[in-house]
Amino acid sequence: MAAGTRQDPPAAPARPAAPPLLPAAQNAQHELEMEVAKYSRGQGADLKALRDKKLKGQLSVKEKLYGQSAKAAAKAEKWLMPNDGGILEPDHLEKTYRISQEDILTEVDLLSSRKPFDMILPVLGPYNIGYTSNGRYMLVGGQKGHLAMMDMLHMDLMKEFEVRETVRDVTFLHNEQLYAVAQKKYPYIYNRHGTEIHCLKEHGKALKLQFLSKQFLLASINSFGQLHYQDVSTGEMVANYRTGLGRTDVMRANPYNAVIGLGHAGGKVTMWKPTSVKPLVTMLCHHGPVTAVAFDRGGNLMATAGVDRKIKIWDLRKYEIVHSYPVRAQSLDFSQKGLLACSNGSQVEIYRDFGGHDYKLYMKHKIMKGYQVGKVLFRPYEDILGIGHSMGFSSILVPGSGEPNFDTFIDNPMETTKQNREKEVHALLDKLPPETIMLNPNMIATVRAPKKKEKKTKETEEEMEDAIEAAKNIERKKKTKGRSKPSKRAKKKEEDVFKAKRPFLEQSDKIDGRPDKKQRIGEEVELPKALQRFAKKPQS
Amino acid sequence: MPKKAAMRRGKPPAPGQGKRRRHGPQLSKAMRRELDAMGPGPARGSDDEEGSDVVAEDVYEYEEGVPEEESGKNGRYDAVAKYEYNFDSDASDADEDVPSEEGEDMEEDDNDDGDDEDKQIRILQETTGMPREAFGGKKRKQPLELPLQHGDGDGPVTIHDLLDNVQGKPGYSKIRKRLQQQEKKPMVVLAPLPKVERDKIERNVTFQKSKNELTKWEGIVKTNREAPVLYFENDTNLGVNTVAAIASEFKPRTEFEKRIAEITQSTDIIEAHKNDGAKILELNKIDVEDVRERQNRLAKMRSLLFRHEMKAKRVKKIKSRTYHRMLKKDKLKAASADFEADPEAVKDHARKQEFKRAEERMTLKHKNTSQWAKRIIKRGLSVQDEGTRAAIAAQLQQNTLLTRKMNSMKDDSSSEESSDDDEDESDSEAKILNRGKEKILKALEEDNEIPNSAVFSLPFMERAMKKREEATYEEARQALEEYDDSLKKLEENNTEQNEDSIKVSGKRTFGPVKNTHEEFKKRRKLHDTENSSDSEYDSEPAQHLSNNEVTMKHDDIQLGNALLDDEPQNDIYKSFNDIKKNPGPKTTFEVGMLAGDSWKKVKSNKGNGQSNGNGITNKSKLPVPSIVDPKPKQQDHNSDSDSEEEMVEGFLTVSDRKENYELPSQADLIRQAFAGDDVEAEFEKDKMDVLNEENPEPEKPALVPGWGQWTDIQQKKGLPSWMIKEHEVAKRNRQEALKRRKDSKLKHVIISEHVDKKVEKYSARNLPFPFTSKDAYEQSIRMPIGPDFNPVISVSALNRPAIVKKPGVIIKPIQYEEVNPHEKPDEPKRVIQRATPNQNAKKAFAKQGKGATSQKRK
Repeated sequence: MAAGTRQDPPAAPARPAAPPLLPAAQNAQHELEMEVAKYSRGQGADLKALRDKKLKGQLSVKEKLYGQSAKAAAKAEKWLMPNDGGILEPDHLEKTYRISQEDILTEVDLLSSRKPFDMILPVLGPYNIGYTSNGRYMLVGGQKGHLAMMDMLHMDLMKEFEVRETVRDVTFLHNEQLYAVAQKKYPYIYNRHGTEIHCLKEHGKALKLQFLSKQFLLASINSFGQLHYQDVSTGEMVANYRTGLGRTDVMRANPYNAVIGLGHAGGKVTMWKPTSVKPLVTMLCHHGPVTAVAFDRGGNLMATAGVDRKIKIWDLRKYEIVHSYPVRAQSLDFSQKGLLACSNGSQVEIYRDFGGHDYKLYMKHKIMKGYQVGKVLFRPYEDILGIGHSMGFSSILVPGSGEPNFDTFIDNPMETTKQNREKEVHALLDKLPPETIMLNPNMIATVRAPKKKEKKTKETEEEMEDAIEAAKNIERKKKTKGRSKPSKRAKKKEEDVFKAKRPFLEQSDKIDGRPDKKQRIGEEVELPKALQRFAKKPQS
Repeated sequence: MPKKAAMRRGKPPAPGQGKRRRHGPQLSKAMRRELDAMGPGPARGSDDEEGSDVVAEDVYEYEEGVPEEESGKNGRYDAVAKYEYNFDSDASDADEDVPSEEGEDMEEDDNDDGDDEDKQIRILQETTGMPREAFGGKKRKQPLELPLQHGDGDGPVTIHDLLDNVQGKPGYSKIRKRLQQQEKKPMVVLAPLPKVERDKIERNVTFQKSKNELTKWEGIVKTNREAPVLYFENDTNLGVNTVAAIASEFKPRTEFEKRIAEITQSTDIIEAHKNDGAKILELNKIDVEDVRERQNRLAKMRSLLFRHEMKAKRVKKIKSRTYHRMLKKDKLKAASADFEADPEAVKDHARKQEFKRAEERMTLKHKNTSQWAKRIIKRGLSVQDEGTRAAIAAQLQQNTLLTRKMNSMKDDSSSEESSDDDEDESDSEAKILNRGKEKILKALEEDNEIPNSAVFSLPFMERAMKKREEATYEEARQALEEYDDSLKKLEENNTEQNEDSIKVSGKRTFGPVKNTHEEFKKRRKLHDTENSSDSEYDSEPAQHLSNNEVTMKHDDIQLGNALLDDEPQNDIYKSFNDIKKNPGPKTTFEVGMLAGDSWKKVKSNKGNGQSNGNGITNKSKLPVPSIVDPKPKQQDHNSDSDSEEEMVEGFLTVSDRKENYELPSQADLIRQAFAGDDVEAEFEKDKMDVLNEENPEPEKPALVPGWGQWTDIQQKKGLPSWMIKEHEVAKRNRQEALKRRKDSKLKHVIISEHVDKKVEKYSARNLPFPFTSKDAYEQSIRMPIGPDFNPVISVSALNRPAIVKKPGVIIKPIQYEEVNPHEKPDEPKRVIQRATPNQNAKKAFAKQGKGATSQKRK
């Protein structure tokens, strides 16, 4: 019932002392094995099939190290990340979505109870919000030019100012030091003190901004439907593509592979990367305009909402629809733990995966009547949903939405200044080039598929066999003076077969891109004159 | 064993012996001599080798055992050594080929030989410095002197005859036993093998030997190769390195050291030490009491010193300003105590003070003349923070203190008195305020009593007077209100004010000095315009407090005017002359300003709090909006007028705003209305376009106009078959290509097949060398090895290079050690390099000989 508290099952009745330990131990063992399997990231190579002994030895050593590492990682996870995310657990027949914020507030601990709040800012709304990746800082941008940055850990306002023109979107860059704001004509970059650092005129009238933190790219879609990628660390304009699908303000980056998803008026969702002029994937998702797109943290799930009163969940591995729900939504967001929030008018609904991507209503929250929710955004590493609406901003508690265990290598909500600096430097050093954005980033370092199709090679093989057969069946004239000796005949036949084979072999070599080694040597190395008579004479 | 071999190599062996040994068993030299003496053998002319051979042939059958025995006895014969000798390097071969004359010489006289050996030993002794016994081994090699028996000369000498002679010598019983065995079953020894065969056998043996030598390295080489990581480390056994250990090895060398050693190691002292040093103590006779007392005293002193030191340290560390100020005060007080006692000190102090004053007046060091102060003032004091402002004020205060005129000692004391008054500043302030209030009231009262002179009775004058009166009355009322307000406020914020007000450490504090920065600024303005010196101004108010009443009475009306005209309008210049003439009321004026200012502040704050205009009101705990300082707010108010039209609209028409938000634009509405019309068909068309772009449809077969259309037959035939075939093939290919696409079965999806060349550089074109299958390769790189993905304990192991060594470690040639080639240790292998090769390895090297080593190095 209470947020974050899971009722333990009643203690087991008295049993003999020894047996209960055993299943528990087994269970733990099993769990550990599962974890190890997770961390070993798939099966190792089949060493028995390898013929190269040296390679086999090297690989076996490597595999052993991998195993140890996976085990250590599993143990570390077990001992260092003990927090389970809380969840609303209904009693019998109780519905979680009937639990109101007030009920939750009475149950949760003091610290959590301080986190939800409402800010009524009726004048400069509707409000857009943005969080840093560690969830510590929040950026609030009122459409009529009000910008404020807050430290959510200490609940204090760091800077508040007004730009006196339309603000369409706000987003933090790599940390809270800089943030980008899409304003009336151009996007601007401000620092934490509210000083304008850059005016990105090339982007034009940007409607939405997304920051790709691994690549340090700021992506924007402007009112002409142009997609811009700009490297924030160097200032270089990486890419500028026309979508050709009209004006849209539906844009989201896939957190897994940094592919940008755009929702269009024609019901299409397109996915883009900075090195391709054409969209990587175009999907027809809705019959009307797409109103919102959101990607799951794992990168395999996409949720889209359209004017046709539907929310659809897509599997991005197969590009197939998984579920479709008849709900309207203006904005969507996936939490770190996979909850899906959608806003509809003045109502916010939160869906939860009940297995098999079957999302069911988990929580409901209604803001004051007449308020229009503009944007919903889960706060990372907290069980909090931020809601920007026409009358300001509010945040509510959503148990089980945030990742309870944070990895300071990735994001640290309690970051000190020094750590922040260190992290910035590291992030810059580890910056990925824009080409690394692709649908399947696991492609990197694998062997490229040969351009020649397999079917072709099969065909050529058949042809070659035919040719050989034909060459074998050639009838030779009977010749005199010992020229038709069996040995000579056999030799001749062999030559014929070789001649028939040759063009095919050459062809395959060309396909491989590696000329025959022997041939190459013969071509290149010119023997000295004295030795030339000993060289093997070319056949025929 | 190896040592002997080495020695043999070092010193060429007696060549003759070497040669002779090749010919099988031989008699010893002495025996042969005996044989010679016994009977002249056939063709025995000399001790030639051929001759000896002949003899050997004669005696071969019955004497074959002897040489072995003998060599066994003197330890010369060793199978291995012999073998080694035979397969020694060329040098030793050359030795063998030495002409036999030398051997002859050697045999001719034993004495010579003996002499030679003696000489050799001597030389060795001299060069190496080792005792003669070390080379004594040679001695034993000297042939046994057998006493000759001349008794029975007839029969041939049997072995028993010879044995009798050696009876009692070591090894006799052994020989006898063997003899007996041989006699029991006399056997015929095979004739020696031919040389080729013998060489073959020897080569075989050599091969086996060297093979063994080499194969024993196999294990270590294998483990080294298989080890994923090799550590190369130096054998850093530093041995004894403690001071005591080094000292224990000390031996006195110089004269001085020796003498010291003599003393310290003399039995007396050692014994005394053994007896707990009591004996030494006995020597100096001191009372136990004395010693104890002394110790106590010392301890006390030490502890005192220590405490003092600690205290000094602590005091030195204190950074608190107040503390230092107090300290200074204390010092001053102490000094003043001195003054009472000592008139000289007083004079001295006065002189010093005077000097300081003069200096200050000359340099104006504390009068905001410094670069820092100038900069700050240029920037504006209002922008500065509390601390800076306080610092500036303190500096000014310092200036006034320093430049204050000192008439006499009495003045000083009076100032001190006044400083006592300042302890409750707020009280005094309140007093000042009260006084000001009273004065205003008085002025108002007196206002009414304006003398009706002739001039004033003029009608326009009267009107003007009336008007003015009203105005003054109004203003005075306001001023009174302000006074009340500020008084109230003073009472409320007594403590806070104290904190907020500039901390002036001096003895006197004045109203103006206490004021906020704005007053400072204004005052500065005043001074700048009027060029009046600060010093004058600041030093004078000292008397204002006392003089106030008097000056007030002098020109009350003026005061009233000054107050009433200036204060509300903030127009200072108008009445400045008045003020300057009579600085008395200025204090009150300033106080009034303070009051007015604070009042304004309060009001503005209130206004901000109430105004809904831009303020962000806060429902919950968020302390943000209301506490923000009012400046940005004011800016906002101003900005509203500047901002764009739509903004103003949004701002003004709050009720419209919601509609604005809800209703999308007309274009949006239209788009929405017609969007869903035929989206699917459109998409299908799009997809077709994309497909055609990536896999273009083959052109329809067509003849070039004019070609193949000459005759009816040609026309009837239509297109040539090859063309049609080609077209069909192309079509089929396209179909296949389309089928192979990822999105071939997904109606609603277009997946671009376009190959990105920029991405291609991130994938391998061919399989890396040792791999033969793609799966194996890809599975081998599936694990990330960076620190972001692995626990700390395994990161280093995952990223360790194949060979680890510290800089400076030299990797030495491989050294032999026993390893089990079949075990595969988990840990990376550590190769510890010793300074000298270990014993086993050394032996191996020696055994192998030179040829073998060179072979191994290959």
